Amino acid sequence: MSHNFSIIGKDIPRQDGKAKIMGAAQFSDDLKLPGMLYGKILRSPVAHARIKSIDTSKAEKLPGVKLVITGEDTPKINFGNWRLVPESMDEYPLAIDRVRFIGDEVAAVAAIDKDTAEEAISLIEVEYEELPAVYSVDDARADCAIKLHDNVENNTSLSRTIHYGDVEKAFAEADLLLEDTFEVHAVSHAYMEPCSCLAKTDLDGRITIWTSTQTPYYVQVLLAQTLGMRENDIRVIKPFVGGGFGGKMELRKWEFCAAFMSKLTGKPVKFTLTRDEELISGRRRHAMKMYSKIAFKKDGTILGKEFTSYLDGGAYNSMGPTAAFLCGNFGGFLYRFPSYKYNGFHVYTNKPPAGAMRGFGAPQALFVTETQMNMAAEELGIDPIDLRLKNAMEAGDEIPGVTTIHSCGFKECLEKVREATDWDNKRKQYSEEKSEKGIGIGCYSFISGGAFNWFNTQYPFTAVEVRVFDDGTAHLMTMASDIGQGCDTVLRQILAEELGINVEDIRLTAADTAVTPQADLGTWGSRVTFMAGNAIINACKKIKDQLFKVLSLKLNANVIHDMECKNGRVYLKNRHDKGLEFKEAVRLAQKYNRGEPIVAYGSYTPRGHGLVTPAYSFGAQVAEVTIDKDTGIVKVDKVTTAHDCGTPINPIAVEGQLEGSIQMGLGYATCEQFVMKDGKTLNTTFLDYKVPTALDMPENEHYTVEVYDPYGPYGAKEAGEGLVSPTAPAIADAISCAANVRFKDLPITAEKVLKAMKKL
Amino acid sequence: MPLPKFDYIAPKTLNELFELLENYGDKAKIKAGGTDLLIKLNNKVLQPEVIIGLKNIQELDFIEFDEKDGLRIGALATLSEVANNSIVKEKYPSVAYAASVTATNQVRNMGTVVGNLCNAAPSADNAPALLSLGAKAVIVSKNGERVIPLDNFFKGPGLSDLKTGEIMKEVTVPIQPENSFTVYKKLSPRSAVDIAIVNVGVMVKIQNNKFTEANIFLGAVAPIPLRAKKTEEFLLGKNVQEDIIYEAGKIASSEATPITDVRSSQEYRKLMVEIITRRAIQEAVDNIN
Repeated sequence: MSHNFSIIGKDIPRQDGKAKIMGAAQFSDDLKLPGMLYGKILRSPVAHARIKSIDTSKAEKLPGVKLVITGEDTPKINFGNWRLVPESMDEYPLAIDRVRFIGDEVAAVAAIDKDTAEEAISLIEVEYEELPAVYSVDDARADCAIKLHDNVENNTSLSRTIHYGDVEKAFAEADLLLEDTFEVHAVSHAYMEPCSCLAKTDLDGRITIWTSTQTPYYVQVLLAQTLGMRENDIRVIKPFVGGGFGGKMELRKWEFCAAFMSKLTGKPVKFTLTRDEELISGRRRHAMKMYSKIAFKKDGTILGKEFTSYLDGGAYNSMGPTAAFLCGNFGGFLYRFPSYKYNGFHVYTNKPPAGAMRGFGAPQALFVTETQMNMAAEELGIDPIDLRLKNAMEAGDEIPGVTTIHSCGFKECLEKVREATDWDNKRKQYSEEKSEKGIGIGCYSFISGGAFNWFNTQYPFTAVEVRVFDDGTAHLMTMASDIGQGCDTVLRQILAEELGINVEDIRLTAADTAVTPQADLGTWGSRVTFMAGNAIINACKKIKDQLFKVLSLKLNANVIHDMECKNGRVYLKNRHDKGLEFKEAVRLAQKYNRGEPIVAYGSYTPRGHGLVTPAYSFGAQVAEVTIDKDTGIVKVDKVTTAHDCGTPINPIAVEGQLEGSIQMGLGYATCEQFVMKDGKTLNTTFLDYKVPTALDMPENEHYTVEVYDPYGPYGAKEAGEGLVSPTAPAIADAISCAANVRFKDLPITAEKVLKAMKKL
Repeated sequence: MPLPKFDYIAPKTLNELFELLENYGDKAKIKAGGTDLLIKLNNKVLQPEVIIGLKNIQELDFIEFDEKDGLRIGALATLSEVANNSIVKEKYPSVAYAASVTATNQVRNMGTVVGNLCNAAPSADNAPALLSLGAKAVIVSKNGERVIPLDNFFKGPGLSDLKTGEIMKEVTVPIQPENSFTVYKKLSPRSAVDIAIVNVGVMVKIQNNKFTEANIFLGAVAPIPLRAKKTEEFLLGKNVQEDIIYEAGKIASSEATPITDVRSSQEYRKLMVEIITRRAIQEAVDNIN
């Protein structure tokens, strides 16, 4: 499909780049208000305990301390993102009677400076009665295990099931059955900007909070809920945000404390977390224990799969319910499974809660799927890419009652990486040599935003307002939140393309709940470009209707003419010379309206797209590694990716997402992990929590296959999250190719490689 | 808790420094680059009343070399300066290399080689190579100067031979014998910006295809950078050949007494001592030949 776009598909520089590079960008912690107090949270030092008493008197007497609060002082209203299932909302803004992990929030202080706040925290005396604690899903589900939450049996707060076809029949007819246990670990989002927020309360009682969030709307709604206030009396503003990756998409307890304490003191209150607080208590990707049984015919045809996942959720539900569902969804993905049975269980343990993280259940599920595909290829004597081509999903495929694949370039991706990496020769050569070189493959799919509404919003999933002016400029207002992924640039591109103006002509006001239209569900699930992009197109249609009417009048145009906005003009599509300058068209339209401005509201809510998403991305990735067989150190030399993200709106931004995904996937696969003992995190700095650096990055070669999604804006689909999934299975497969050791657990540290090779 | 208040004093001469050290004794801490000190202050590991900054004492800021006495690295020579110094790179490549793989660019621009030694971490990047080169610590105080082998300087994690009132003014490295070469190797999970889980410094001299000198020091596998005495003794007089070098690695491993911590297990560290010692010896041999 060929398109004559002006701005879509162009490498438009990031609109926020200059502010960030010049140091002008203001992040939450940069903000200061007169009389501002500094907040600090007291966290539980024990993994599981009843709170017998809290004595805050010494802290309160410390000069400079303005307020100390505990759970008792709050309205004691529970909250959670899964508002559609009220019993899942298992958290309180501060602990009530009990703590469930090391780092659980117990009390908060607001003082005139940081040092005083820290000292005050150390003066709060809490008497704990320690309880037994559980640190693994197996221990937590044991009959004798202590219950973390009184109403939840077996510490299993929810289960999700997906089931179609006859799995037992598939197993009975199989020529090859693989049955394996996989264990993957928790990792940190490691966003550069630690969480921070600043709240103030006006004399009329209304609260404004600036916060490092991916979801201003959730913070607004849940703050109102926990404070017992009206939503419209809370204003949430997102300043510049230094990354989120899923870790900033809930109401956080310091946000509540800042708002509540500013209300009580009448002064602005700021909380900023330290990196060790982030690593000790922050949200993380779910560790999972997974069982997978998959059946093949001799020729490689998949017959069915049974997949069970136990999510180590930590002490609270957080985003666990969604992770449990998406894990199951992607467990049945990439290939045609005639039968599939998934059971996912979210299990409480006395550890920091896991939440959403880039990929959101897919990296775990796809590590299982892709590893078993590679194992099966080996068993069946079929090339791994051939095995995938034989079973790959295609456009039009349907999972009954669940979802439909509208567009899919997966097979093209597989063919592309095969050709680009000289796969056939290298795979054969490295497999035979078993020297230090290996080559392996992993693939992925991901959602372009969720079609589900567990938050139970009463608004459209996303909405925009577009205003155009007779000086040729436009103003885009949207609650969509740029957290570093670049939507402030991409959404301007879409608007510029629609109206035929330049990116620079667009003023953007974003992510302010009091100013931008209600609502937007936030930056997660790779939803923003797809959904906000469609909302812009929807709004622009209304704007253009007005401009086209005045053009028709002005030209006395034949009714058969089609019209368009392009290159700063509005004109007849078949007679480019017949038209007006864009700003003249706006002027006339406004005049026609007797001064009423040309403004349009647009929205998007995915309807009729099943239970999951309106569109799926697909892709294949090949990793080439060198293993030092004496030290076990795996060096990833090169990563080659071919992906179907639909139409890339901004290719250089897509490339940025790919680079970042490889970095995260590399850390997940080889070196990032929380070292924990009895619920206590031992590596609480970036010295010992090993995030790969720029110098660890492999060479990156990538291809975008041409796919046009019928429902995406300009055919675009997601590019932000799915790419994080294939790297770990591809690296694991390359290691297997070189060293004949197959890993079913992560991370694959040097020490584990040597152990697997029986050298340690 | 707030960072306790402290005074900062920056003397201009060694004599002024000695006076301050005498006046404040244990209440003072010395700062060169501050890249280790400030972290300890922030973590409340140290709570000095006074910090004495060395930065204004110009007589400590030098890297000098002459053909008779060898290399002198002053207390204020930064890791970057040592790593990029052309004479150090030419005459003592292992010293330049060790400085170049310490921490990050930013830390290297602030931190000093002597400071890295005085911090006395068992994993210090700059200790093994200097030790295997036979470096000496020049320690000064109001009472004069004493020069000790760097090998006698380390006393335990964070502990050194420095007494109250003393500073390490410089570290000196003698001229190396003909037919010798020194190698520093470090192993860490990341390829850069990382702390060693094991490191090693190896100096060997070869005559008539036999090892005639060997200095081997292992880092991060004992409370101090550890001299691998048995390995050194084993090598002396032996033929330069692969099986001997392999055996030397095994002996070095048996001498190491690592612990398990968040960075690595004891058993992995022990095996890695064997591997990187063997590789370091081989690399030194290859450079001599």
